[in-house]
Amino acid sequence: MKSRYTAAKNVFIDSIDIDDYIELSSSVTAYKQLEYSMEKPLKMILLFGKPGTGKSILLNRLQEKLKYKKEIYYFDTPTTNDKEFFHKLFKVLTKQNLPHNTEVNFSALVNFCKNLRGKREILILLDEAQMYSAEMMEKIRLISDTRAVKFVVSLHKTDDEDLIAKEHFQSRIWEIIELKNATQEDQTSYVHKKLLKKHLFEIANSIKEKNMSLIHDFTKGNFRECNKIMFTIFEICEYYDEHEPSKIDYEKIPDRIIEMAALKLGYINV
Amino acid sequence: MYDIKVLEEEWKKYNKNKKKPLYLLLGVLCLIAIVSFLFYQNKNFHFDSKMDTQNINTIQYPKSNSVVLLDKKLSEILVESQKISLEDEAIVDNVNKNNIKIPTLPIVDDIPLIDDMPVGKIVLSEKPKIKINKKPKIRLSDKPRKKIHLNIVESSKVSAYSDVEKRFKQSHDTEDSLFLAKSYYRKGNYRKAEYWALQTNKINSSLEESWLIYVKSKAKLGHKNEAIRILTNYAKRSNSSAAWNLLLKLKK
Repeated sequence: MKSRYTAAKNVFIDSIDIDDYIELSSSVTAYKQLEYSMEKPLKMILLFGKPGTGKSILLNRLQEKLKYKKEIYYFDTPTTNDKEFFHKLFKVLTKQNLPHNTEVNFSALVNFCKNLRGKREILILLDEAQMYSAEMMEKIRLISDTRAVKFVVSLHKTDDEDLIAKEHFQSRIWEIIELKNATQEDQTSYVHKKLLKKHLFEIANSIKEKNMSLIHDFTKGNFRECNKIMFTIFEICEYYDEHEPSKIDYEKIPDRIIEMAALKLGYINV
Repeated sequence: MYDIKVLEEEWKKYNKNKKKPLYLLLGVLCLIAIVSFLFYQNKNFHFDSKMDTQNINTIQYPKSNSVVLLDKKLSEILVESQKISLEDEAIVDNVNKNNIKIPTLPIVDDIPLIDDMPVGKIVLSEKPKIKINKKPKIRLSDKPRKKIHLNIVESSKVSAYSDVEKRFKQSHDTEDSLFLAKSYYRKGNYRKAEYWALQTNKINSSLEESWLIYVKSKAKLGHKNEAIRILTNYAKRSNSSAAWNLLLKLKK
């Protein structure tokens, strides 16, 4: 017989599945801001924040919502070479596959885009854009200058390097939307909503405010870290449920288990 | 989950370490408390030691074995009050040093009672304030103490007796009735003395003093034969020398 915690554990497997999207007050604000910015005649919009703040899922949500209204494309996996990227772009713009043994002529592509101006309004969502080379970003900028293609660039904000300060972003980005780590209330709501979405009411109820305070302290409000710790917590609970039920309190998650999960994930150490 | 036991062990260590600062803090607080206490104690010791050792007396009370350290002047006051003395004396050394003459209180045999004050109560009175033309700067520790006179005053006021009588009716305390008997006898009111001595005997027939007052009052009222008869009975019963002596006196 499967433990009650197995299903709960699986809820927190990290993914950018649009079905897993949880509407929180902070993410709704960011979404509206992004939607509003896209209506403006901007060439590039920068969406940035620390890893795990929900950038990818927000872009997914945006595509999902607007796909029937706008010509919108989501580039999830960054390509490290120009060739591959322009193959993708060619397909999006021309809606045709590139013939074998041929390469995209960048100048021709720019001209093609110029011709599209006023006829089509194409929106490209570039996830993990910090992985694109500066040269490629320059080419993306030139394409955006045609005003036929608008880019939403999603970037990681890192502590040691402020990417916004980079020259090619400074002069061209017209709108910046920053995603921040969740507050404790948002994180609590996130965890509860996720569990309730899978009808795990009792387990959601067993996670108390005090537990969430501890989880928030460990994860600093990061959604990806939150998913990781919740997964580990339920993994430990699952083990106890199956092997040593006396060590588990079904009414509330003991702090001991949360701390054990934090130890396992390296948030704290002995 | 294959590493749960390892994780449990790690958590135990973590939990132990987590509580370390708490224990440390508690230890520090305890230490601070102990040090503060010792410091306070030490401070008190210095304060005491700064006092003039000449001004410290040890009084050994005859009835108890406890030894009490008192300021010399305070001890004098207490000794004085024990003796129920109205003697006056100089108040403060410091004042004496400045050659300031302090008016001494006259010895008062009969201090008038406050109206509502019951007889036999201890009356506290303060010494009148001393007027000094030149105000010498007196340190706090050298401030003159107020002298307290403890006087036991007997009141002859009728209201005071009636208060005791009222109280006796409620308490049936033989001390009150005996007091009334003695007081009335001294005042020459033998009828009342006889009555209160009888009341005392009714409550406690073993009190010799009340028997003697009763017999003496009877004799004073002219019932000498009856007095001798009663006293003879009592003397035989109690074999009291005082009773026998009084009997001889009455028979003379």
